[in-house]
Amino acid sequence: MERFGFRAMGGGCEIAVAEMEKEESKRLASLGIEEVNRIERKYSRYLPETVVSKINAQAGRNWTVCDEETVALLDYADTVWCSSGGLFDVTSGVLQRAWDFDRAAVPPQEKLLPLVKLVGWKQVERKASAVRLKQKGMQLDFGGICKEYAADAAALLLSGLGVRHGYVNLAGDIRVIGPKADGTSWTFGIRHPRKPEGLMASIPVTSGAIATSGDYERFFESEGQRYCHIINPVTGFPVMFWRSVTVLAPLAATAGSCATIAMLMEAEGLNFLKDSGFRYLAVDQAGRMYYNQ
Amino acid sequence: MDSLQGKNSNRRTRRLAALLASAAMLLPPANNACADAAPEQGVVSLKYLNYHDSQSGDTYKTAGMSRDRINVNALSLMVMVPVAGEWSVAMTCTEDSITGASPAHHGWGFPADSSSGASGELRYAGDLSVTRYFSKGTLSAGSSYSQESDYISRGISLSGTLSDGSKNTTISLGTAYNSDTVDLNKPAVIDSKKSESPRSKRVFSALFGVTQVMSQNDIMQIIVTWTHGKGYYSDPYKDPDVRPDMRRMFTFMTRWNHHFEAPDGTARLSYRYYTDTFGIRAHTLNVEYVQALPHGWEITPMVRYYSQSAADFYVPTGDDPFVAARVDGMQYYSGDQRLSAFGAFSYGVRVAKELGRSWMADVKYENYEQRYDWGISGRGDSGIPTFNARNIQIGLTRKL
Amino acid sequence: MMKMIAFSGVSLPALVIISALTGCSTVQPWEKQNLARPAMTFEGDRLDTGYTEHIYSSKEAASGGSGVRGGGCGCN
Repeated sequence: MERFGFRAMGGGCEIAVAEMEKEESKRLASLGIEEVNRIERKYSRYLPETVVSKINAQAGRNWTVCDEETVALLDYADTVWCSSGGLFDVTSGVLQRAWDFDRAAVPPQEKLLPLVKLVGWKQVERKASAVRLKQKGMQLDFGGICKEYAADAAALLLSGLGVRHGYVNLAGDIRVIGPKADGTSWTFGIRHPRKPEGLMASIPVTSGAIATSGDYERFFESEGQRYCHIINPVTGFPVMFWRSVTVLAPLAATAGSCATIAMLMEAEGLNFLKDSGFRYLAVDQAGRMYYNQ
Repeated sequence: MDSLQGKNSNRRTRRLAALLASAAMLLPPANNACADAAPEQGVVSLKYLNYHDSQSGDTYKTAGMSRDRINVNALSLMVMVPVAGEWSVAMTCTEDSITGASPAHHGWGFPADSSSGASGELRYAGDLSVTRYFSKGTLSAGSSYSQESDYISRGISLSGTLSDGSKNTTISLGTAYNSDTVDLNKPAVIDSKKSESPRSKRVFSALFGVTQVMSQNDIMQIIVTWTHGKGYYSDPYKDPDVRPDMRRMFTFMTRWNHHFEAPDGTARLSYRYYTDTFGIRAHTLNVEYVQALPHGWEITPMVRYYSQSAADFYVPTGDDPFVAARVDGMQYYSGDQRLSAFGAFSYGVRVAKELGRSWMADVKYENYEQRYDWGISGRGDSGIPTFNARNIQIGLTRKL
Repeated sequence: MMKMIAFSGVSLPALVIISALTGCSTVQPWEKQNLARPAMTFEGDRLDTGYTEHIYSSKEAASGGSGVRGGGCGCN
C-alpha cells in the first residue's frame, strides 16, 4: 500500500492506494490530488478568478451563468439549507468578517447586525443555470461543502480508474474507495477535541465516508468562552453546544453536512443525528459522548 | 462531432452532478419550513394532432360499407408555472378542426354532404388549474370549458392528496361537477329531436385513490371513481336513438410501474374496469415500455386492448345492416355502434429526444382497430363494419 | 336495484384491497432516485393524455378512470 501526503483545503491530506504497482499508484494518486486542487481552485472565495468570486463580484447586480458542476453544488446547498431548517447557509461566510480569529475579540452588535442582514439563502436568486445574489455585499462560500465534495470527487475518479482498495483523506474528511486488500476495514482515529495530538476514538470503516466537525479547528477563547468558526446564520454568533460531531455516511458530502448541521443545531442536533439513520459520535461541552451502534 | 476529450468531460461532469444529487438525497428530510414539493421549473408545451378514421366493410354482411369517416387536426398549448415556491398554475388551450361524419345508425346513414368532406366543425377548449403544495400533500382547484357549434361543456373540480411522512403512501380524493348544454336547433338534428330550447346534462363525479411505493423500483396505484349524471344523453344526430336521462358510472383502475435497473427501462401497466347503468361493462388493458437510449433519446412502444359489452338498450342490426333496425315497444333504444359489444386493439410507439438542456421533442404514432368479434365474450353485432383509426402527435416542450 | 348491488359488490373489495396495501413497504427517501423519474410517475404527458383520452372516449362507451377533470364534448 502506498500513501501520498499533500497539503490542500487548509490542512494535511492523504491519498492511500493499495494493491497496485508503485508507479501506477503514484500516477493515480497524483490524478486524485489534481482533482482536489481543481475543485479547491475553482471554488475558493479568496482567489479572484474563481467561479465563486465571479458570482460574489456581481452581488446586487447581474446574473452569472454557471456550469453544470456549479449548478449541482448550488442544488446541493439548497438541499442542505432545507434539511438543516435554514441553519446551514452557504451565504453565511460574510459573518467571518466580524469574527476575526486572529484578533480574538467578540464583535460589537453594530458590526454584526449589518452582516447578518446580508446572510440568507432565500436571497439567492436562481433561474435555470444562472444565479444572482440579491444584495450588494452578499457572498457565497462553498467552504463548508467543498472539502467533502472534493473527497468524493477524487474517490470517484480513482475508483473509475481501477482503484479498488484505498481512501482519500482531506484534513479529516475521509472517503473510502474500497477496503484493505484482504477485505478488512481501515481504522480511522477521531481527533480528541481538547487534546491536539490525541485520539478520542478509533473507528473501523470498510466503505463509505467519515467526517468530523468540531469547535477546535479554528477558534479563539475570550473570558473563558470558546468562539469557533461554525457560525449560526440567524444569531450571527458561533455555536457553543458540541465540542465535535462525527458522522459515518455513504458519501463524504453527506457525512460532512450532517456533522456540521448537528453542530449548528446545538442541542437539537442529537435528534437530527438520530433521525438521519447514520452512525454518529458527538461530544458535548462537558466531554460526554453520545453515539449509536 | 464532440472531441473525445469533450465527451469525457461531459460524462465526468454528469457523474459529479449525480454524486451531489445522491449526497443530497441521503440527507434527512426537513420536517418543518421546507414544504417545497412544488416544481422547480415551469413548462411550456405545444402539441399537434392529426387523426384519421375509417370503417371497412370486410365481411360478407358489411360489404360495401367501407368509407373514410373523420379527420381531425388539433393544436394544444400547455403552460405550467410554479409560483412563490408553494403554488403552481397550469393552463391548457386546444383547438380542434373536425371534418367528415359518423354514421347515423349502426354503420350507415351518413349525412348527404359528408362524402365530400364539406361538413366542418371547430371546437375550442381550455382548462385552468391552481395547485397549492403543503408539506404532506396538495390541494388543486380546476375549471374547464369546451365549446363547439352545438355543444358547450363547463366544469369545475377540486382534488387533494395526502401523504404519510416518508411519502410512500399517498391518498387522493377528488370531486368534479360538469354542466353541458346541447343545441337541438341545428339543421342536421333528427327532426323528431329538434327543439328551440337547448337541453342540458349535469354530471357529478368523485374519486378516491391510493398510490403506494412498493419497492425502490415499483410503484402502484388504485383508483375508484363514481359518477352520477342526469340530463340529455341521447344523440341528436342519430336515429333511432333515445337514451335514459340518467347514467351512473363506476370505474376501478389499477396501475403499476416497474423500473428495470439493467436495461434502464420502465414497464407501465394499467387495467381499468368500467360499468354503468346503461348496462355496459368494459375492460381496458394498457401496456407500455419506456426505454432510455443514449444521447437523450427515449422510445416507448405500447399496446392496448379494450373490450365492452353492449348497452341494455342497444338495438342490433337486422338482416340488412344498411337499414335502421326496428325498435317496437322499447322505452330506450339506440343503434349507435359505440354502445354495441366489441373489442379493440391498438398499438403505437412514441419517440422523444432531449434537445439541449431545456427543450424536448416527441412524436407518437398510434393505430387502433375495433371489431365486433374481438370482445371478451366474442359475441358482437356482425352488421357493424370494422373501425380503424390512426393518429400522429408531434410535440415540443420547453422547460422555463 | 340489481345495478346498485353490483356497484357495492365491486366497490367493497376495491376498498379492502386499498386499505391492505398501505402496510406494504418502507423505502427511505434516499432510495428514491428511480421513483423520481418521469416514466415512474403516474402523471404522464398532459397534452398526450388529453388527446388520447378524448379519442378513446369518443369511440368507446367507457370513459375516465384516472381522474375527475371535467371537459366533455358532443363527440361523434
